[in-house]
Amino acid sequence: MSSPALNQQTIPPQPKNGPAREALPSGSVVIDNVSKRFRKHTLQRKSYTTVKSSILEKIFKSRYPRNNYIAALNSISLNVAPGASVGLIGRNGSGKSTLLKLISGIYRPDSGSVKVQGRISALIELGAGFHPDFSGRENIYLGGVMYGLTRREIDQKFDTIVQYAELEDFIDDPVRTYSSGMYMRLGFSLAVHTEPDILLVDEVLAVGDAGFIHRCHETISEFRRRGKTMIFVTHDLDSVARWCDEAIWLDKGNVKDRGEPRRVIDNYLLGVEEKEELELEERNRLSAGIPSAVAEQLTEDLSSAARLGELNVAEDPTAPGKWGNGEVEIVSVKMLDGAGEAKWIFHAEEQTTVEVEFVVHEEVPELVFGIGILRADGICAHGTNTDIEGLEVPLPTATQPGAKPRGVFRFVIERLGLLDDAYFIDVALHRKDGTPYDYHHCKYKFFVRGARRYHGIYAPPHHWEFGELK
Amino acid sequence: MFRNLTELWRFRALVWALVGRHLRARYRGSLLGFVWSFLNPLCLIAVYSLVFSYYMRATDVDNYPLFLFAGLLPWIWFSSGLLEATAAISSGGSLITKAMFPPHILPVVSVLTNLANFIFAIPLLLGFMLLSGMMPGVGLVVLPVVILIELVFLVGLGLMFSALNVHFRDIQHILGNLLTLLFFLCPIVYPVTNVPERFRFTLVLNPVASFTQMYHDIFLKGTFPQLSVLLIALCVSLVTFLVGNLVFNRYRESFAELV
Repeated sequence: MSSPALNQQTIPPQPKNGPAREALPSGSVVIDNVSKRFRKHTLQRKSYTTVKSSILEKIFKSRYPRNNYIAALNSISLNVAPGASVGLIGRNGSGKSTLLKLISGIYRPDSGSVKVQGRISALIELGAGFHPDFSGRENIYLGGVMYGLTRREIDQKFDTIVQYAELEDFIDDPVRTYSSGMYMRLGFSLAVHTEPDILLVDEVLAVGDAGFIHRCHETISEFRRRGKTMIFVTHDLDSVARWCDEAIWLDKGNVKDRGEPRRVIDNYLLGVEEKEELELEERNRLSAGIPSAVAEQLTEDLSSAARLGELNVAEDPTAPGKWGNGEVEIVSVKMLDGAGEAKWIFHAEEQTTVEVEFVVHEEVPELVFGIGILRADGICAHGTNTDIEGLEVPLPTATQPGAKPRGVFRFVIERLGLLDDAYFIDVALHRKDGTPYDYHHCKYKFFVRGARRYHGIYAPPHHWEFGELK
Repeated sequence: MFRNLTELWRFRALVWALVGRHLRARYRGSLLGFVWSFLNPLCLIAVYSLVFSYYMRATDVDNYPLFLFAGLLPWIWFSSGLLEATAAISSGGSLITKAMFPPHILPVVSVLTNLANFIFAIPLLLGFMLLSGMMPGVGLVVLPVVILIELVFLVGLGLMFSALNVHFRDIQHILGNLLTLLFFLCPIVYPVTNVPERFRFTLVLNPVASFTQMYHDIFLKGTFPQLSVLLIALCVSLVTFLVGNLVFNRYRESFAELV
């Protein structure tokens, strides 16, 4: 349903003075087959060319290879219609910001063309160009002029800008005395009040307190309603889903997928998961066998710490460690999904099994299995062991005479019920009095994905009921 | 080149505001504030007068401090303007890398800021002259023309060096030393007559020296500068401006990546 106010608020396209360009409707961005590469040393900020190296380069071409380039964007084409909102997503270094800088004209493409019609406001770095020694007032005028406003236009908008940034009391103080939040708010307020036709936003919406963020979001929605073109670069996938008509997934400078935001985001998450899965597997494999020096020092405190969930390791509760007297040894730890598939990323609703294989080196009187689930910040989400639950663990016996007895236990969680985050698994084998045989603390990391945006640390199985009181 | 000029014109309000901001920023927080823009050249003049006219007795110019003053003021404009302009883009920071900012404004602002300092000090020079019983002559009429020509010259150099300095950071260091040499190659601390005849040609070949001579003519002699000198300076300035723009445009697209 369109409200009548919507049409009234639509700003007529402003004629842009300046060199004649191809007749594009105001607010459109056309990127045609654009490539951009950087010289490697530029990326590393290692060396500026000096006169010396420039001369040497020419003389000894072989020693100073010139074609040391990194491709940031490969033949990207993109057509943004006036009034459209586009979200660029992708991992770090995928070329999102480079693309934004090309659109804003800060970078020039190596090949291809970028055509932009209309006034651009680029929120690439808020407050870039503010002078610390000058007051907020002076900076508004300078910044406004930089965005191409006349003094009179700034005069008219001045109060709104200040009010929006909530800086009425500080506007005559030098901006170097501003907190970073105030600085950002001023930058944001200025940028959105310059009446751009095209707004480029690079990951800058998380400024200020909750109230200000809320207002940022309102402003963005309003821009959308008023038919401004917007291009976002962000890792906040929710806002892409919320505001964008189209999402573009960039991967290593190529468009990996584009189209309806929800679908592209899902594909992107899936892609990221696959990659993370591989990396995690590698990392967990590496860390399992390596005893940590820190952990060995802690062995003395063990009897008190052994009870899972009460573990209180010195400074960093998530520093991985491994300790115990070694009478029984953990051989492998795996996490399996409902289908028995080993993985390290789970859905919140999924059945999850921790499978632990162990070998008994010395004869032991008893065996207690313990499992702990710790959130990445060290908070224990759950801890239990067979002793707490009153279970007697049967000791494994050797299959052949002379061989050591080996065993396996599985901790089956019917429904994981955790919220999206990174977690560690603690695995312990110990005596009933807490003396550890083998204890792996925070050595195995896994992720939970796809829970709703609940608050807190866990999601109990639940449903809602509604009714009317008669 | 015309793109640079039209953009300069389009952003004239910005240039103006930045010049004002630099002028105020330079002495902000210091006790004497703007007075320093007069005190600095005065101190320099005092030092040079002491050394050259009392210790070394190297000159027979009457009213040596005034002679120094007339040559030193424009020189300070030239040297600090050029040094600041050269570093302007490489130290432009987020303005260049993160904002949509027309880069050639920065060296121009450096040149203009120092020009403003020069112009503010001119009344001081004139007052100094009146105090020592000299009346400013008709030559003063062409002062704006000479300043304008030197401005074109300086902007050309500034554009060129600021762009080159982004790629070759050695430039600003080399330039500092070259300027010291150039200072003593100009008839600022000594009059032209002190230069042996066979070295006079260096003064002709040195555009900065001819500017110094023109300022001497205007302020000290109160006469018009020689037309030939003026015209040569004009041609040199225009060529420098052109070359400066070409060099600048050749490099400007890489600034955001290299700064």
